[in-house]
Amino acid sequence: MLFDAIRAEGYRLTKNRLQLFWSVLLTPLLFAVGGIAFHIFTKSKGDEMAAKVGLTVAAAPVNMAEALAFGANYAANGVLMICVLIAAAGIYAGDYHWETWRLISARNDRMSLILGKVGVVKLTALAATTAFLIASLVFYAAQALVYHRPMTFSLDGAHAGQFGLLWLLAWVRVIQFTLIALLTAVMTRSMMAALFVPWALGFVQSILGQAMGMFGWEPHMWAPLLLLPGLDYDTLKMAIVQGTAPAVPTAESTMRALVGLGLWTAVPLAGALAWFRRQDLSKE
Amino acid sequence: MTAVIETRDLTKAYGAVRALDGLSLSIPRGGVYGILGPNGAGKSTLFRILLGLIRPSDGSATVMGGAIGDVAAMRRMGSMIETPRFPPFLTARQVLEWLAREHGATGSADIPYWIERVGLAEAADRRVKGFSVGMLQRLGVAAALMCRPELVILDEPTSGMDPPGIQEMRALIRGLADQDGVTVALASHQLLEVQRVCDRVAILNRGKLVREGVVSELTTGGERLRLSVTPMDRVLEVLGSRGTQDGTAVLADIPRAEGPTLIRALVEAGIEIDEARWVGTDLESIFFTETGNVRTPERDHAV
Repeated sequence: MLFDAIRAEGYRLTKNRLQLFWSVLLTPLLFAVGGIAFHIFTKSKGDEMAAKVGLTVAAAPVNMAEALAFGANYAANGVLMICVLIAAAGIYAGDYHWETWRLISARNDRMSLILGKVGVVKLTALAATTAFLIASLVFYAAQALVYHRPMTFSLDGAHAGQFGLLWLLAWVRVIQFTLIALLTAVMTRSMMAALFVPWALGFVQSILGQAMGMFGWEPHMWAPLLLLPGLDYDTLKMAIVQGTAPAVPTAESTMRALVGLGLWTAVPLAGALAWFRRQDLSKE
Repeated sequence: MTAVIETRDLTKAYGAVRALDGLSLSIPRGGVYGILGPNGAGKSTLFRILLGLIRPSDGSATVMGGAIGDVAAMRRMGSMIETPRFPPFLTARQVLEWLAREHGATGSADIPYWIERVGLAEAADRRVKGFSVGMLQRLGVAAALMCRPELVILDEPTSGMDPPGIQEMRALIRGLADQDGVTVALASHQLLEVQRVCDRVAILNRGKLVREGVVSELTTGGERLRLSVTPMDRVLEVLGSRGTQDGTAVLADIPRAEGPTLIRALVEAGIEIDEARWVGTDLESIFFTETGNVRTPERDHAV
């Protein structure tokens, strides 16, 4: 049943090419193209300056493993999350918007229908973060090509683990953000609300994150870690890359961040499932 | 006779309004079953409950022997409720492929056959965004039928179709029942269509079942002799309580066997008879009588 729902939802998404482009490819493409342009521009400026002062820059190798780490570290960026949100809003609210629940409600059970949608959004988020990693590789490769620097790949076990965890964390963060869209879609039956409520909530949370001091909050306290999933994400990232980060969080604040991010993921999902189970689907 | 749909005391209340009020109905396997009723009678509410779109306030229902929400039982049913809508970016073929996946029937759904059968072959690879209501209706019917269901629920299947389309749809529905052995439950406002297509009907009014039975049995009862006569007063006198005026004619409520005797008596009494014919009760008149409407149109049969 769940497999059928994922297949059907996935099939429908693949036929909506514009939405797929926006959600999966736009951010990585912008990043890669922008990065190449940036390297070409800085190289030309650097060459001019080097010619003026008669300086020769050593061609240090570019470690492509750093490209992966960079990509994993910044995969859950605001632009990518909003782009994935566009697809998520369509997937979660589409059947209300197009009045198509009546076509599928009798063909599958309600839990599978919703979890199928969540599954497809998870795959979309995975595709988007993977595309961002590839764009990061392109960014670093462009740097090597523009600056005529050799490319190497050096990744030890510890850093490979860090990379994997950062990627996983970025994926979870994107999913958590889109689950707000799920809850909004089920409660409001509106695609616009599913798109804008998570965006507005994320905006408010980022403002709160900047103004924590005004409330007397410290980043390790329960209140901000429960209220701000973005802070949870940053805390967990710092915990993963500890040793290189300037402020390593304590085990206690790491645990609080895990609880905070877990709640922001589980509560919207559970709420949406509970609401949807009893929902009147004839009012689409 | 096993039932494909069974409801027991099914009730759906929206505040003080009861869309369904203790409906107990049994739709037998085989044939075409029509559900009639004026707006607000509860037809769509019944179908929505059967499809799991809404929950009943009270009572129970089974579809193909399973409770509502029993996916294995529900997947033996196809449905189309009102004019269907589809994601606008999909083509007709893609709509069916998407729904076949949702149904877990990608291998068994014969999509090209059903596209052809509902007359959408030329539009199969066009986006549904530009489809007319009639085309959407055809696609909805294909979606309901492509997984070879044992039971099909159709709500106003010919709404928005042109006359040839209506005729084709009627033939398709009859063919499903007669050749493919599919049970069809359909709701329609077009009473003539229901009379032509259905084997049994149920008439709902204000959420209650007011009449149920085989169409041919329902429509043979209540025959009257319609007489265009001069002078009318004398005929009404002769008939007494068995005679009623109907415009310029008199309706005689007598058994068919007494018809010739009455006509002979009227002729002998010097009454001029322009026309005499038996008029039967059609589904439309039953419908209006049962739902409390004053209009009782009648179908004519020459004597």
